[in-house]
Amino acid sequence: MKQIHVIESVLKAAETAAGENRRLLDQAGLLAINLMSAPGSGKTTLLENTIPALGPDCPCAVLVGDLQTTRDAERLGPLAVETVQINTGKGCHLTPGQVAEGLRRLDLSRFAFLFIENVGNMVCPAAFDLGEHLRVVLLSIPEGDDKVAKYPTLFQKADVVLLTKVDLLDILDFDVSRVRQDLSRLNTRAPFFEISSKRGDGMDRWLAWLNDRRQARSKASR
Amino acid sequence: MHEMAIASEIVDCLLDIAGRYKAARIGEVEVEIGRMRQVVPEALEMAFSAAVVGTVAEGATLKLREIDVSAVCNDCGAAYSPDIDVSFMCPSCGHANPRITAGDDIVLRNITCDVDEEYRYEADPRD
Repeated sequence: MKQIHVIESVLKAAETAAGENRRLLDQAGLLAINLMSAPGSGKTTLLENTIPALGPDCPCAVLVGDLQTTRDAERLGPLAVETVQINTGKGCHLTPGQVAEGLRRLDLSRFAFLFIENVGNMVCPAAFDLGEHLRVVLLSIPEGDDKVAKYPTLFQKADVVLLTKVDLLDILDFDVSRVRQDLSRLNTRAPFFEISSKRGDGMDRWLAWLNDRRQARSKASR
Repeated sequence: MHEMAIASEIVDCLLDIAGRYKAARIGEVEVEIGRMRQVVPEALEMAFSAAVVGTVAEGATLKLREIDVSAVCNDCGAAYSPDIDVSFMCPSCGHANPRITAGDDIVLRNITCDVDEEYRYEADPRD
């Protein structure tokens, strides 16, 4: 038996693919946002309300990752300029290679925003860079106020945290201060917005954040 | 359960190295796993033993070493080692705005393998 000494990142292929995605997105001058959360926390509903509100000056494309079905793409299709559904089969997260394939199906120069709706999962998506510019993490009221502390890595990586379905605060026991307290230990960089896609609460702050980040991005790339 | 994806990345790297060194069989594989990667060692071992079937790495043993997370505070510049299951707070300024400097990678270290004695290894420009 011979011993071979190597120092080789196992993630090299994934990192190269993510870097290539980021280069293409930068070149096209759009802002790419990776949405991560548990299943059912309102990622698709958020996009259904965000895309029309951004208006015709900000055309959006969406890559939707799900194990099965094209249901999310069917919901978003009429709203987004273009939607690509990626079925991951048994995969619990989107990979940079799958995103690269999705990007090849889009004319990136047409868009202001690309939303990447990751597979609903609070563990695996956090471990994979897809080449996005920013990460949005959602937590919905029905999931409970203990989830930030339970999934520290996901919340640590967020560039913005959205507490969704706040219209349910009146009927469910949920302590928002507990979430804020947990976030103060994990991530003081990300702004925290309380929103309800359904009722419209906080949507103005979320939209203003998106537009700010987009402007900052286009200034930086000039 | 992203361990299966990571196991197949490890096997891809191994097959690439085995090809470069003309290895006929791989014995032991040392891999360092950063704790930021949220890998369950037992799950990775199980996934690895499934992913190697039918390759030169079939039967190889995986030796895993977990690497603790190191960080530098983006706000005050202090270096620290967060206990990532609980907190990323900087002990010097109290903010949780770290840049991770270690413990965020998965690295293949040493591999033992049977190589063809006739084959004389010449340095690969990639090494």
